[in-house]
This record gives sequence, structure tokens and C-alpha cells, in this order.
Amino acid sequence: MNEMLFPIAVFFAAAFTNNILLTNYLGMCSFLSVSKEIETSAGLGIAVTFVMALTTALNWVVYHLILVPFELEYLRFIVFIIVIAAFVQLIEMVIERYSEGLYFALGIFLPLITVNCAILGASLFMVIRDYSFITTFFFGLGSGIGWFIAIMAMAGIRQKLKTAKIPVGLDGAGIALIIAGFMAMAFMGFSGMITIS
Amino acid sequence: MKIQKQQAMRNVLIGLSPLILAAIYFFGWRFIAVYLVVGAAGLLSEWFMSKRYGYKITESLFVTATLFALSLPPTIPLWIAAVGIAFGVIFGKMVFGGFGRNIFNPAITARAFVYISFGVPMTAHFLSPQTAVSSFPAGFGVFSSAADSVAAATPLITKSADHLSLLLGNVAGSFGETSAVLILLGGLFIIYKKAANWKTVVSAIAAFLLFQTILWMTDTAQAADPLYALLSGSFIFAAFFMITDPVSSSQSTDIGRIIYGAAFGLLTVLIRIFSSWAEGVTFAILLVNMFAPLLDYLIKEAKKKNKAKRAAIEKGGNA
Repeated sequence: MNEMLFPIAVFFAAAFTNNILLTNYLGMCSFLSVSKEIETSAGLGIAVTFVMALTTALNWVVYHLILVPFELEYLRFIVFIIVIAAFVQLIEMVIERYSEGLYFALGIFLPLITVNCAILGASLFMVIRDYSFITTFFFGLGSGIGWFIAIMAMAGIRQKLKTAKIPVGLDGAGIALIIAGFMAMAFMGFSGMITIS
Repeated sequence: MKIQKQQAMRNVLIGLSPLILAAIYFFGWRFIAVYLVVGAAGLLSEWFMSKRYGYKITESLFVTATLFALSLPPTIPLWIAAVGIAFGVIFGKMVFGGFGRNIFNPAITARAFVYISFGVPMTAHFLSPQTAVSSFPAGFGVFSSAADSVAAATPLITKSADHLSLLLGNVAGSFGETSAVLILLGGLFIIYKKAANWKTVVSAIAAFLLFQTILWMTDTAQAADPLYALLSGSFIFAAFFMITDPVSSSQSTDIGRIIYGAAFGLLTVLIRIFSSWAEGVTFAILLVNMFAPLLDYLIKEAKKKNKAKRAAIEKGGNA
């Protein structure tokens, strides 16, 4: 594929054909627990997109400039988690200092994101698929936007279902998992459109 | 067993009746066997769930069963048809709280489920219709057109059928999708009876034609000419009968209906041409179903904001 266009293709693939949530099932926990309201979902989705795009790029730098030269690749799980956690803390402080509105909008979600497996997943995919720096950034951004789209659709559906008479045992996480299954089925339609590795 | 009456659903069934006759005409009496199995399995699932959880059994079930039966390929094993409709009714509709609450169209969830789970029976065994359709009893004289015709690929893949056959329906395909003329007839009937909204249908077809024309003109990925693409496969069938379902579609505003229809048209073309599936209709419907609640919400919010703004301006003018 064309060198220049590859990052763009990866961007779309990460958002749709290989949606990190609906085809890799990563980041399920916050997807299920925070998707009850559209507004909070939007907040979390934006925060995830933001953090994912920047931490995958940051992890690329750490991996290729520190871990690889010192042959410490086997430490990448721990190092990536530390980088993500530290980065999220830093961002939180910066936002608190400079934008109170944004801090209160994202406030609770930022610490939540540290333990979101989709973020770590994106960093690990970046290593396995051997992306360049630019591609990595677009991959992180695309994955985040894909996650955002998925949680927004889910929140829309759950908000509509609020008054529905759902069987007792299925109320809450049960029906959310069934909906997630249907959403994954719908996203299978995109399969084969773009390949990304 | 008490079944709740729904006039709109009866109108849809009337609109679908020419397609049922056509299915027998083209593919033989086996369609009725499939239809009965689907109807019985569907009713049983709905009865089971309504007994357990106290939902009403509604006539919409028969529409779901008919749409699902018509969307199956002629050689479909009966047990797959039964499994599909049971899945569609229980997981597509009843777990959400019964009729009026389902997020996804139950007929299409049933079809997507069997399409993904049983790839070969669903895609590889299409039949040419009863070859002698010009001589009278045609399919009415045989149980299945399978006996004297070989498995055939659908015109979506061969891209070689002529437009007239596509229009009349003398091509390989699912039971109910082949005859564009009859779909149009039934579709116009349900629009006339207001069981379907014309805005959704028109915007779906317009978006489909526009996008397909662009791809055809630029010769991208061997796109078929727009008219051929429109008439082959199940696009018009879905545009009239599936996406107009008043429960799972965007239903509160006209702008919502237009966006909803257009998104369906675009996604169908996109999936047909670029993905590894031959037909994109099934997934396109699921995708638009999935985003419809969010779309309705966003339109409502935008309207609210607009209203508040206008009120603020008026207030400012008076002061």
C-alpha cells in the first residue's frame, strides 16, 4: 500500500473494521458500567480517545528508544502500564490547573482510564504490528474514536431502554452484553474492507 | 393464546402477499414448508417468552416471520430457519421487553445470526428459479425447483443478468428478493396505507443510487451500474419492508428519517463493494438500527438548543 496513505488506512481500520471494542472486545468493563447516560458516555469516550492517541505514541517512543536499545522488550507490559498511569496523572494535574470546566467534565473519568484495558491493548498492538511512529499515532486516534462511537451507540440504546420491561435477570449488565453482541454482529459487516497489518 | 391485533401489521402482511405468491411461483412449494416452520417456531418462541414474563403476543410476529422467511435462500435447511427465527424473536425482541421495545429489527437479527453462523447454506446454494416460468404452473407445479436446476450464484456475484429478468424476478436469489416489480407494488401499498414512511424509502434509494453512480463512473472496484445494483440483491426489499419498521428505525422526526434512510443506502453500497461479504443489506440494517436511538437523541437535543436560542433572541428583542 502507498506509504503516505497507510496511516490513514490504519486510522479507518482501527475505527471500523478492527474496532477495538467490538472486534477485539477490549475496554469492556467501563463500556458496560458507564454507558447508561449519553452525556457521561461522551465524556468518557472523549477522554479515552485523547489518552489513547497520546499514550500509544508515547509508548512507541519509550519502546523504540529505551526498551529496544537496552533489550528490555520483555518488560513492556509493566513499562506501558506505568507510562499510561503517569501520563494520566500528569494530564489530570495540567487540566486541573488550566481548565476547571474540562477538569470537572473529565475529572472522574481520567483515573478510570488508567485501568482501561483498551489503552494498554492499543499499545501492545502497536508493538506486535510493528507500526511506524506516525502510523502508531493514527492507530491510537482511530482506536479511540472507534471506542467513542461504540460507547455512544450503546448509551443511546440504553437510554432508550430505560423504561422498557426487561426480564429481571437480564436487567443491567445482561442486556448490555446482549446489545454489545448485536453491535459486534453489525460491525462484522465491515470485515475485509481494510487490512491493517 | 391471545394475540393482540395490529392494523398496521396486517397492512404489511397484505403488502407482502404478492411476494409470497412469487416465491412459490419461482421456487416451488418448498417455500410454504419453510414459511410454516418459521411461523410455528416463531410463535412458539414468542408464546414461551410471553408466558414466562407476561408480555403480549402481537401480530407483528407474523410480519417478522414473513420477512425472515422471504429473506432466506431457497435451499435453506428447515432446522436453520427454525433456529434463526427463535433467536430473532427471543434475543432480538423479547429480551428487550417485547413488541415496541426492540432496538434491532427481529427479522434482520435472525437473518444476520444465521448468515454469520451458517455461511455455506446461506450463501452457496442459491438456485435458478423454475426455468420454465413462462409456461403456466411453473413453481406451482413442483415442490422445489432444486430437482431440475443446478446451484447458481446470485446476480450480485455474477453481474451478468439482464435488467428485465432482474425487474421481473427470473434470477437466482432469496425467496422474496428477486422480483423488483412485485416489491415495488407491495411497497407502494404499505406506503399508501401509512404502514411505512416514504421519506425513509426515498432517501435510502436516492443515497444508494448516488453513491453507486459515483463508484461506477470512477470505475472503483468493478462497481456494477447503478440500476443493476439497485435491482439485484435484496436492497429494494429491505428499503421498503425492513428499514421502515416503525419500532427499530429513527421515528421521531423527518430529518431523522432522511438521515436514517440515507445512511442505510450508503452503508449497503460500502459493504457490498468493499467488504468480503457479497450482500451488505443485512449488516447495513443492523448498523443503522444500532445508531437510530443516538440519532433521535441528538436531533432532539439540537432542536431543544435551537428553541432556547430563539427564545433568548426574542427576549433580547423585547427588552
